[in-house]
Amino acid sequence: MVRYERRRFLTTKLQARNIVKHFDHNGNSVLALDGINLNVEEGDFICIVGPSGCGKSTFLNIIAGLEKPDSGEILLNGNQVTTSGPDRTMVFQEGALFPWLKVIDNVEFGLKMAGIPNDERRQISERYLDMMQLTKFADSYTYQLSTGMKQRVAIARALAMDPEILLMDEPFAALDSQTRDLLLVELQLIWERTKKTIIFVTHNISESVILGNRVVVFKNRPSKIKKEFVIDYRRPRLAEDENLQKYYHQIIEELKSEVIARIKDENL
Amino acid sequence: MSEKIILKKTSHGNFDDAANAALFLAVFIGIWQVVFMLGIWPKISLPSPYMVAESFVKIIWNHSLPVSIGVTLVRLVAAFAISIALGTLIGLAMIKFKGFGKTLSSFSAGLLSFPSIAWVPFSILLIGFNDFGILFVVIMSSIFSIMISTYSSIRNIPPIYLDAAKNMGAKGFYLFRHVTIPAATPSLIIGIRQAWSFAWHAIIGAEILMSIVGLGHILSVGRDFLDMGQVIASMITIFAIGLLVDRLLLFKLDERVRKKWGLDHHR
Repeated sequence: MVRYERRRFLTTKLQARNIVKHFDHNGNSVLALDGINLNVEEGDFICIVGPSGCGKSTFLNIIAGLEKPDSGEILLNGNQVTTSGPDRTMVFQEGALFPWLKVIDNVEFGLKMAGIPNDERRQISERYLDMMQLTKFADSYTYQLSTGMKQRVAIARALAMDPEILLMDEPFAALDSQTRDLLLVELQLIWERTKKTIIFVTHNISESVILGNRVVVFKNRPSKIKKEFVIDYRRPRLAEDENLQKYYHQIIEELKSEVIARIKDENL
Repeated sequence: MSEKIILKKTSHGNFDDAANAALFLAVFIGIWQVVFMLGIWPKISLPSPYMVAESFVKIIWNHSLPVSIGVTLVRLVAAFAISIALGTLIGLAMIKFKGFGKTLSSFSAGLLSFPSIAWVPFSILLIGFNDFGILFVVIMSSIFSIMISTYSSIRNIPPIYLDAAKNMGAKGFYLFRHVTIPAATPSLIIGIRQAWSFAWHAIIGAEILMSIVGLGHILSVGRDFLDMGQVIASMITIFAIGLLVDRLLLFKLDERVRKKWGLDHHR
């Protein structure tokens, strides 16, 4: 609790200012993001939840520079960013590892691009593979790994870039629940160890409550930030912790009307 | 993943495959011999397997077969190399200039299915009754396959690979060399195999009509001299070379990539 209070006075790492984005849907322009404002402080762990299709992944892609907003800007350390870059690495939902590379070469991919010498590259990638308990699989190809292992490689790959901010787009959505529970704890430990700023998008409310310092709830389309919750609770938080239930219920109460609105939209 | 088990399995499979192929050939030759002995066709129209073997010995002995194989393969390799180089370049240009790519690919069905023989008269009048004329026919028959496969292989790369690579700072030539090419490879190999088979069709056709040396030529000499033994011997050679190149080179390449990617692992 003390730690979090202190974090609040740290510097702003990332700012999203009035992000607006339209989608082309069967020739019609649909407003997806209707002016999103978000401040992320250094070392913070933010979870974004919302009904499916609300544009939370789009928002993350805009932060990553993979999509362009129609208006608004993203500031990283006070400077505007418009293109994709290794200072904001992304862990995708699944399938983003390169099947033509060995596990270790996947982790080294971005480092190679950054021109980091061979030895150093190997050292860094081995460190993160070790952190993810994947050392034994350094020379495997990705098809030889389970889905959970693949996501751990993807996290190692993103961390190896030593990004300013780590973006995670439903990285555990494809996992079975036991593997997910393990990774939820692992991710908290990694966050404490690396002090990374993390933005984590999910549709899974318990995931957001376990991981986030703050949980940001997105409204159904056109999306805005509906409400923010501060989860002030000790770590590492476990999936089965009863005390997290009260946060869970507060958030689900907030989301219920949005999900209903979403279903009505889909039935139109 | 136990490497040993996989190796055992494949070597066992190879042995089975070879035994099956040998059995198939024996049955085929047996039926051929029986049909020959029934005497439905005169000997000159349908010689026995033994007579074809004699023709084989004859054309090897007078050097016409080895020379023909050599000439045909040299022409083929030259034409195919040009085809791959030019076809890849045009395919990449189709990616780079979207309008051009879209227009050209909308003709792809016509270009791909255009019969290679139909290029022969055009080639004779444009280039002449010579080696370059033959090369032209082979190139025109295989280049579209390379072009279209380059274009579609790259366009069909899952966008997430490119997003992930860009997200890690890859751009320009590095992105092309380390993501675009490897991601497109499995599908590029299919295009190359197809182009190879088109080129092989084309060169035999072109040699029958416009050459005085080569495998296609000894085939047509056999016809001119009513020498069915030579015709069949040439056909068997053509069949064997087509099979060997695909199995030993292209199929092996395909298999290697598929194994590395885990494309043969159905879970």
